[in-house]
Amino acid sequence: MANLLWLQGGACSGNTMSFLNAEEPSACDLVTDFGINVLWQPSLGLELGEDVKAILKKCISGEIPLDIFVFEGTVIDAPNGTGEWNRFCGRPMREWVKELSEAAQFVVAIGDCATWGGIPATAPNPSDSKGLQFLKREKGGALGAGFTSKAGLPVINIPGCPAHPDWVTQILVAVATGRAGDLTLDEFQRPKTFFSSFTQTGCTRNMHFAYKVSSTAFGQRKGCLFYDLGCRGPMTHSPCNRILWNRVSSKTRAGMPCLGCTEPEFPFFDLAPGTVFKTQTMMGVPKDLPAGVDKKGYVKLTAAAKGAAPAWAEEDIFVV
Amino acid sequence: MSLDVDGRSVAQEAADYEDRYGVTPARADHATLLRMIEDLLNEGLQTLVEPFPETDREFAAILDELRALSPDQLRAKLVISGWLLRPYGEDQMRCQECMYFLVHRRWCDLPELNLPAEPEWWCRLWRI
Repeated sequence: MANLLWLQGGACSGNTMSFLNAEEPSACDLVTDFGINVLWQPSLGLELGEDVKAILKKCISGEIPLDIFVFEGTVIDAPNGTGEWNRFCGRPMREWVKELSEAAQFVVAIGDCATWGGIPATAPNPSDSKGLQFLKREKGGALGAGFTSKAGLPVINIPGCPAHPDWVTQILVAVATGRAGDLTLDEFQRPKTFFSSFTQTGCTRNMHFAYKVSSTAFGQRKGCLFYDLGCRGPMTHSPCNRILWNRVSSKTRAGMPCLGCTEPEFPFFDLAPGTVFKTQTMMGVPKDLPAGVDKKGYVKLTAAAKGAAPAWAEEDIFVV
Repeated sequence: MSLDVDGRSVAQEAADYEDRYGVTPARADHATLLRMIEDLLNEGLQTLVEPFPETDREFAAILDELRALSPDQLRAKLVISGWLLRPYGEDQMRCQECMYFLVHRRWCDLPELNLPAEPEWWCRLWRI
């Protein structure tokens, strides 16, 4: 039996909604098949007010062993470093977060907000938001760069806006069943099993990417979304086209550009007008090239690909 | 009355195409449109090859201008987009490498242009 406590800071509840849609395993499977005891969760917990506070205090004191502390949403420091804009159970949430993190065997940050600040931390960051151990790319966050939980791991970051439900439940199962040692984390503390490949990996538009044929409007089934519509699939680490959403699709498969929501900089370019759904270029060349590709190589690749492109690459091959 | 880049009315420009080619650009086939473009540029049409849109905001501003045009305003399309019948610049940029160019259809797929093109041509909306 592993005790799990889930709290929300500066959050939209999107990751909770995502979690409740998990299928492999489902949220119910966590309880019935994998021995996870959900002490409290904002959308599932029956307790209110003082009863919640009592659970939190018992976790901090050790009266209830806290195996997994899950946090969703940003840690809010405003106004003036007090954290008073996000009070919970009688005091600033950030104080609960700090004490519960120190008491937990494992700390798991779910979603961009909890991992590195996400949309709330976008400049000018009025709520003075940060993630548990990062603020965008900068390590530190609310718990500090050197934080490790009782089990000796830093915060396990599962980013996304929201995180895919199965990423969440599969990591929780790994931790709850004593397989946390099998997890390897990347430089941003994301489990490598999910975040080593790219969103582009498995994208149905890869043929069009290869032959440099662009989509020029949303929903087109022809063409790649990278060249014109701002898709960040080739630069974003996520398994969105390997572990499909709702088991059937992904953004890019549906004709919607990847927004790069599993990367610390999300939302990119601070949401400046004209930067969303538009590939940012400098003198006609994308500012952000596919990971590991330099400008010279990209230009050569484009010339070769265009020269080799077959006629079918220009057709809507999905039309029956 | 809507005026084209050289001050003529759009209706007058359409009538000129009708007289010369028997059809207006909006209804011309690929070969005729190609000929219209070549004739306009070979007869001295000066296009706005500079400034090259260095940023997306500048790029978007050009697209906004193009969106306001009717399909028969071919001259204006070519002028605003900076169309040339040859590669351009130090890097000899050309349609062949542009991501909007469909090499088999020989077509510029940028919705705001939507014109036939040749691999050795270029315009300032070039993107790779």
